[in-house]
Amino acid sequence: MKKQLFVLASLTFGVLTSTAQEVKFEEYKLDNGMHVILHKDNSAPVVTTSVMYHVGAKDENPERTGFAHFFEHLLFEGTKNIQRGDWFKIVAANGGQNNANTTDDRTYYYEVFPSNNLELGLWLESERLMHPVINQIGVDTQNEVVKEEKRLRVDNQPYGNLLAEVKERLFIKHPYKGTTIGKLEHLDAATLEEFKAFNKKYYIPNNAVLVVAGDIDIASTKKMIKDYFGPIQKGEPIVRNLPQEDPITQPLTGTAYDSNIQIPAVIAAYRTPSFKSRDAYVLDMISTYLSGGKSSVLYKKLVDEQKQALAVQAVNISQEDYGIYALFALPLGEVSLETLVAEMDEEIVKLKSDLISEKDYQKLQNIAENNFVSSNSSISGVANSLARYYMLYGNTNLINTEIDIIRSITREDIKAVANKYLNPNQRLILEYLPKKDDK
Amino acid sequence: MKLKYIVFASLFLFVITLQAQIDRTQQPKPGPSPTISLEVPYTFQLKNGMKVLVVENHKLPKVSYSLRIDNAPIYDGDKAGISGILAAMLGNGTTTISKDAFNEEVDFLGAQMNFGSNSAFASSLTKYSERILELMADAAINPLFVEEEFQKEKEKALEGLKSNKKSVDAVASRVSNALSYGKKHPYGEFTTEETLNNITLDNVRSYYQKYFNPTNAYLVVVGDVSISEVKKTVNKYFKNWEKGLDLTTNITASTPNLPTTQINFVDMPNAVQSSIEFTNNVNLKMSDADYHAVLLANYILGGGGEGYLFLNLREDKGYTYGSYSSISPNKYVGNFSATASVRNAVTDSSVVAMLSEIKRIRTEKVTAERLRDAKAKYVGSFVLALESPETIARYALNVEINDLPADFYKNYLNKINAVTADDIMRVANKYFKADQGRIVIVGKGSEVIPNLEKTGIPIKYYDEYANPVEKPVFSKPIPNGVTVTTVIDDYFKAIGGKDKAKTVKTVSATANVTVDGVPFPLSASIKTMVPNKESMEMTAPGMGKLMAQKFNGTTGYSEQQGMRKDLTAEEIADKKAERSIFPELDFTQENSSLESVVSIDGVDHYKVKTMKGDDAVYNFYSTETGLLTQTESKEDMQGQEVTNVVTYSNYQEVNGVKLPFVTKIKVGPQNLVINSTTVKVNEDVIDADFN
Repeated sequence: MKKQLFVLASLTFGVLTSTAQEVKFEEYKLDNGMHVILHKDNSAPVVTTSVMYHVGAKDENPERTGFAHFFEHLLFEGTKNIQRGDWFKIVAANGGQNNANTTDDRTYYYEVFPSNNLELGLWLESERLMHPVINQIGVDTQNEVVKEEKRLRVDNQPYGNLLAEVKERLFIKHPYKGTTIGKLEHLDAATLEEFKAFNKKYYIPNNAVLVVAGDIDIASTKKMIKDYFGPIQKGEPIVRNLPQEDPITQPLTGTAYDSNIQIPAVIAAYRTPSFKSRDAYVLDMISTYLSGGKSSVLYKKLVDEQKQALAVQAVNISQEDYGIYALFALPLGEVSLETLVAEMDEEIVKLKSDLISEKDYQKLQNIAENNFVSSNSSISGVANSLARYYMLYGNTNLINTEIDIIRSITREDIKAVANKYLNPNQRLILEYLPKKDDK
Repeated sequence: MKLKYIVFASLFLFVITLQAQIDRTQQPKPGPSPTISLEVPYTFQLKNGMKVLVVENHKLPKVSYSLRIDNAPIYDGDKAGISGILAAMLGNGTTTISKDAFNEEVDFLGAQMNFGSNSAFASSLTKYSERILELMADAAINPLFVEEEFQKEKEKALEGLKSNKKSVDAVASRVSNALSYGKKHPYGEFTTEETLNNITLDNVRSYYQKYFNPTNAYLVVVGDVSISEVKKTVNKYFKNWEKGLDLTTNITASTPNLPTTQINFVDMPNAVQSSIEFTNNVNLKMSDADYHAVLLANYILGGGGEGYLFLNLREDKGYTYGSYSSISPNKYVGNFSATASVRNAVTDSSVVAMLSEIKRIRTEKVTAERLRDAKAKYVGSFVLALESPETIARYALNVEINDLPADFYKNYLNKINAVTADDIMRVANKYFKADQGRIVIVGKGSEVIPNLEKTGIPIKYYDEYANPVEKPVFSKPIPNGVTVTTVIDDYFKAIGGKDKAKTVKTVSATANVTVDGVPFPLSASIKTMVPNKESMEMTAPGMGKLMAQKFNGTTGYSEQQGMRKDLTAEEIADKKAERSIFPELDFTQENSSLESVVSIDGVDHYKVKTMKGDDAVYNFYSTETGLLTQTESKEDMQGQEVTNVVTYSNYQEVNGVKLPFVTKIKVGPQNLVINSTTVKVNEDVIDADFN
């Protein structure tokens, strides 16, 4: 009897270790429709407060691109109770850090504080949502700042316009055809009323998720959340009716120029499904197989053995509605761009006709497990994942179960997905060339 | 009685609602400070000298190993780039495991591993942690050096240089370091194609043997491990790493700070932004008493979104996406730097704004509020960093490497809190050298230099490799509709018309001439006749004819103080090919081209290119007046190529045609000014004048 007990205890222990990294969380909705997710981890005196809004570049009026990203700047300008210019000061003066970012799908704001400033973090985020001050001074100032950001991050960067050139050609109808940063002339032309209307439409509690993660006490945190976010008015439900793309059936080609580069690049880009689909996970695996690490197929062949490429990368840039699967290479020396494409295609063809080896398959699983474990290594990372899985994937618990999807992918799946999406008549070949001074 | 009771109850209720209603007009106050516990890593040392620091943390099933060799900075000289090649070759196989098998296994384990020239890092899931340590140790102790891999990495490094050639940031960082520290200093030297091509595999091997050894090595282990297990495995895999020879490195002194602040400008016509860096070297170590005050002073000036720099350049003026400062304490030589990338049009204003903020922190006492906020920021960052187990390891490593007292981090928050406003001003004056700084600017000269010159700060020009150069001529895009034909038409209109120009058969001028280094006045008689005859005679009072140059259409000579030299066949061909009066009459779209718009002394000019034999000649026409103001050509003088620049000014009308009365000639270092007193058209010239 005693012996049996011991076995049972070690069994339980075994179960505990394998789920040791499970991210526990609790989620609920406020009366105004705001979704709340709480994650308690008292191992360090640190807390993250964050809000993700379901508004991104794809929600913009095509004549007013750049609005979503512009708001990421504008909503630091101040609120009814926070003077213009005080936001960053308050955060820093209380030992915190904060930032925000925008994609085509959503906008995300967060603060990280020592845990005795949890209430401050909630106050800041509730102020931003409840009554931000949107006036001409703020718009004018941030307009200049955004222009500098574009020059810095895009126009002055080697290969900085590459993704924009790909998107513009791969998407015809869907707003993913534009860039997140948008067109500067649209921002210049926008009126204050338009900015206010955008805020009224998208910055509403029923379009947002609040995450509080870290060194918290659940009961008192819930009360504070109710106090600060409860009084915020619900908004009109948002109806999205974005145009669907027709399938690509004929090969697309294009040429783009960049004055910041000396070495040309070639991109083979395919339109792929949303990151919500299982196929997107398979495409991620194919990327790892092709270019993740020094033993990957394309790196080993083009960079290492045949010395044809300076760099080669396969990426699956997946978003809420569609994804882009892109193969990218920089030639070494006199190697032509056509040669690079042909060499890359050869490996795609193998993927489509043969199963990858058992060993390669096990490698992909090991890499995926490592990534999965590492993705939960910081509290602010966990907060971001919880918000993303809830808002864009519609399943918060993916933070724990995504690994099961990955484990369920078979070698046959990899072959089938390659056949489904990676076909020459479904893609764009873009030559991205140095711009000569006289062009 | 009952009434009273009800009043009481409602009062009570009222109070309760008040308490429940938060007052959101007030910023919430922080709760009691969280308790901080600062763990100390477990440390031990191997016989070969390597020190090991272990931090146990079982939150995730992962382990990381990071190896650092704390050598003094190394000057690679004519083999600059060798450390990069070594770094690229390490971690790619061992003497017993082939490169492919090695990389395959690291990837198979889902692990990460990378090497620097004096460091290595590996991490993996706990279940593969021993194997990954074994692989890392083997790669560090028994690296695989083969010629093929070496050539490959060299090729890649060369290509990498090429891909960064037009990067404003890469040029800015290279030039700034080279000028601040000096090209002979390890921090100032940079890699070029030439230095890469000097490197051999043997060089790499001996570099590895000399510098990559355990004497100054630290291995930091963090994660899901037990100390006894780490002791066993580290000892097992690293005990065979042999001690190297003792290293004594002599480091060249870094360039001293400048006597007064100056701008060092690099022209990159492709830049859409200017990269600005104010920099001076500092003598500051982490162990210095000033260290904590300097951290705060730098933070107040430019540590983030609340710094003087950010609030002025971004929030107030919108010049930039961000402007920050940093100060790096260093055992050898440290550096203070304030930076911003700004749009071209506000480059000068940004320089002025940056300087004024650096001066402000030196002269204006920081407010109690700002100082309090800065301290709160450091306290907060200290707390937030504790989330990561690597922090504890990093602190312990810093104590070892920077010779800090053992209680450095225990006292850290107290030291931060003890800094006063006077301390801030004192250290700002000591370390932020507003009057002795170097402002390195990389940008589009044509758009930024005219205004930068107005700041009154001296400007020195450098090329992309930090070599001093003359002030460059900056170019701008050509406006729509402007062609070489319109430029030449405008020129003729400006001088009185093309038909009028065609009637000019001869020009004769008498002029006063000054030559650099010639102390007495000279006078000259200059005559020209269509199509290509030229004559120039120079005399000095009391000395008679000093020199003459003649060309009569078929032959010619030059004569200096009685020494006569005939023109060579090549020179004759050149002279024959070119009109001596208004060569523009022969310009066509086929033989000339409009190159660009450049600014000369603040005025935009069209730059027109024509060929004289094999050599290009550039004429510059003012966009404002249409007149020719400058020609530029290259000339071969005693085997050296010199640039020949002639400028024309003071146009005056003679017989209905405008001609320049002042001509300045600059040949190499020599300057000559011809100031015409009389100019005659179609008068006083005969064929014999040219013999």
